[in-house]
Amino acid sequence: MFTNGSKYLIGVTGFSAVVLVVYIALVDGAVGGAVALASIMLAVGLLAGLALFNRDGDVEVGDTAAPANAEPIGSSLWPLVTTVGIVVMGVGLITHEIVFLLGLSALVAGFVEWVIQGWSETASSDRKFNASVRGRLIHPLEFPVLAAIGAAVVVVPFSRIMLAVSKTTGAIVFILVGCIVLVGGIVFALRPNLKKTIVVGLCAAGAVGIVAGGIAGASAGKRDQLVEANEEDHFAHKECGEEKSKYFDFNSEAKVSMRSNPTATIEFVGGKLQARELGLDSPTSKITIQKSSNTSIIFRNQTEGEYRLTLHYGEKKVQEGVVEELHTCTQMIEEGEEQLLTFRIDKSSIASKKPYTFSVPGVEDQSIEVFVP
Amino acid sequence: MSKWYSVPTSKTARRLVAAAAGLAGVAFLSGCASNAPQDTWQPKGPNAEKIDDLQRPVFAIAGIVGVIVFAAIGYAVFKYRDRGQPIPEQSHGKPVLEISMTVLPAIILAAIGVFTFQTIFDLAKTDDTEMVINVTGQQWWWEYDYPVQEQYGITDPIITSGQLVIPAGTKVLLRETSRDVIHSYWIPALNGKRDAVPGRVHTLRLEADEPGIYAGQCTEFCGLSHAAMRMEAVALDRDDFAAWVKGQLSLAASPADGTLAKEGEAVFLNQCIRCHQVNGLKRADGSPAIAAPEDNVWSGAAPNLTHLMSRNTFAGASWDLLTKGCRKDVWGSPSQEFGEKYLAGVTEDCLNQNDLRRWLRNAPAMKAMYADPTKLEKSGGKYRGMPNLGLSEDDIDKLVAYLATLK
Repeated sequence: MFTNGSKYLIGVTGFSAVVLVVYIALVDGAVGGAVALASIMLAVGLLAGLALFNRDGDVEVGDTAAPANAEPIGSSLWPLVTTVGIVVMGVGLITHEIVFLLGLSALVAGFVEWVIQGWSETASSDRKFNASVRGRLIHPLEFPVLAAIGAAVVVVPFSRIMLAVSKTTGAIVFILVGCIVLVGGIVFALRPNLKKTIVVGLCAAGAVGIVAGGIAGASAGKRDQLVEANEEDHFAHKECGEEKSKYFDFNSEAKVSMRSNPTATIEFVGGKLQARELGLDSPTSKITIQKSSNTSIIFRNQTEGEYRLTLHYGEKKVQEGVVEELHTCTQMIEEGEEQLLTFRIDKSSIASKKPYTFSVPGVEDQSIEVFVP
Repeated sequence: MSKWYSVPTSKTARRLVAAAAGLAGVAFLSGCASNAPQDTWQPKGPNAEKIDDLQRPVFAIAGIVGVIVFAAIGYAVFKYRDRGQPIPEQSHGKPVLEISMTVLPAIILAAIGVFTFQTIFDLAKTDDTEMVINVTGQQWWWEYDYPVQEQYGITDPIITSGQLVIPAGTKVLLRETSRDVIHSYWIPALNGKRDAVPGRVHTLRLEADEPGIYAGQCTEFCGLSHAAMRMEAVALDRDDFAAWVKGQLSLAASPADGTLAKEGEAVFLNQCIRCHQVNGLKRADGSPAIAAPEDNVWSGAAPNLTHLMSRNTFAGASWDLLTKGCRKDVWGSPSQEFGEKYLAGVTEDCLNQNDLRRWLRNAPAMKAMYADPTKLEKSGGKYRGMPNLGLSEDDIDKLVAYLATLK
């Protein structure tokens, strides 16, 4: 079993690992500290391994743990994984943080497996017993990690496929894959005596298919709609000219969180503009908006035709002698529809020569005055 | 016969027991404090009364249950204490007891739940609102702005801070938001607490039965000076409120030439106007002086000081503008005299010059703020709070004289 010295050093190694993870999570972009902590962890881990193997230098303990008639021990993959981890970490230091973290993960995984395997192989002369001892110690760590990797192998490629194909094809692929998994599950349940090789073969073929599809999907990139929608600014249309895209995500504005607390609702009713402020019953033509605060209002068109609401909120000096009018707007919306407009005004309205107003382009003499304290 | 209890014998143990008993005693006796403006058991308005009507029976039920549970545990611990007896026979359980112990709490919680939901829905009503006030939190003060409501004489928006002024006996709806982090607005005597969240508008009903001042405090940890982010709600009767509105709608008048206050106005224009607005203040060339807190302060806002001396507090309601005696006089006045005393504002005799001067001399020394100019990289060079302006004593004299004119 573990010796006193190795217990201490393993504890310090574990603590260093926790500190390293916390450091990486909390300290943004500080690679130097992470390398220092990883070095401490490795050094202490190495000492822990040495202490474990030489039984704290206690010759008697070592002799009893490794009898002369012990079965020969097979080769191990973990030294190779550990070495690869160190190399990848080195590459990561000069290339990218992610590569460094991958190397670190391989190093930690390989090192832990190596130490546990080495220790278990000296537990007794019975290899079966040694394997069970190893399993008891390492399976609680191995299984969740392997399960997460297994899930990622399926989920990541599948998500790439779904992002690459069109919406309709995506729905069909989803239904088909779901049906195949369901049918496969039913068959396996009904035929418990099915040959193991067939089951493994089918699962492997499915996994290979998904991974291949994922690679193809990632190579093809996202479908055009997603690319265009990503390039749009959903909630703040800086320009109030031509509509931007047919892929504008109107649904995003239907979220409860966005629609539950607008400061005011501005209605365009029969060609007249009026505002209804939260908490006040009667409509008004003068509303107050809090300064330097993200604010949402709802524009509701109740007039025949397509209209948009525009907010004018002063001017901004872009360079000496050149000022730019600040405005934002909704898209054109049809009668009976409504749209959310989210904006932020940083300058008080008293600082502006022009009053701040909401208006509907093309409609004269209809505006809502905006006061920003 | 051996004693069933033991007395700690070591000196350290005795001290620990004495300290624990002392702390428990202080905690117990603090419940008897008479000067406790944030006492949750003294509602002064219908919304707080609704909460009180719920919390008293719930507290009583919880107390009874607590006493029963602790008595049962105490009895079991004493009766079955280790006296060297063999371990009793282990049973798998008592279904009747277990079911009762599950069903009874479930019934109690369900009953409390019904009344709790009813109270929550009552407190969330907005359709009977008589007045609306916007409340904006930022590190570490509250801004209040009153949208146009002509029935109260508010013909133009009003902006103030520190003290929320409301008409007594009126259903006021606060529309809360925040400019930086999450804060929480709480005037215990008038209602429960409600978070002010950036980008959202949360509503809170307030109504005071009688004219008076009701104290509160930010109750969501919001950074360095969270503990010093206080507020006061001032309720005035309708006539006094109308007078207050009239006062707030006026612009600040420039002090007479040749006075110390006039010199203070120049200091204000040179230093304070970067963040603090005074409506009506003009520069030497006659153009309006406009503050630009958005360029200097992280939250993008600083208190409007147009009617500073109409309030009783400053710096996030953490310090009084009134001297102790004058403040006591206002706070302790009967409700029928309160309005007149409050509307008198901060007179020259009552101005708490000590704290105001200390604040002007070195604000961050009084209230912890992120105001060290050498440590503003993360906020893009903007302050969170008021920096030390390095004013000379002469400038402070002038500024105090000028601020005293902002009635």
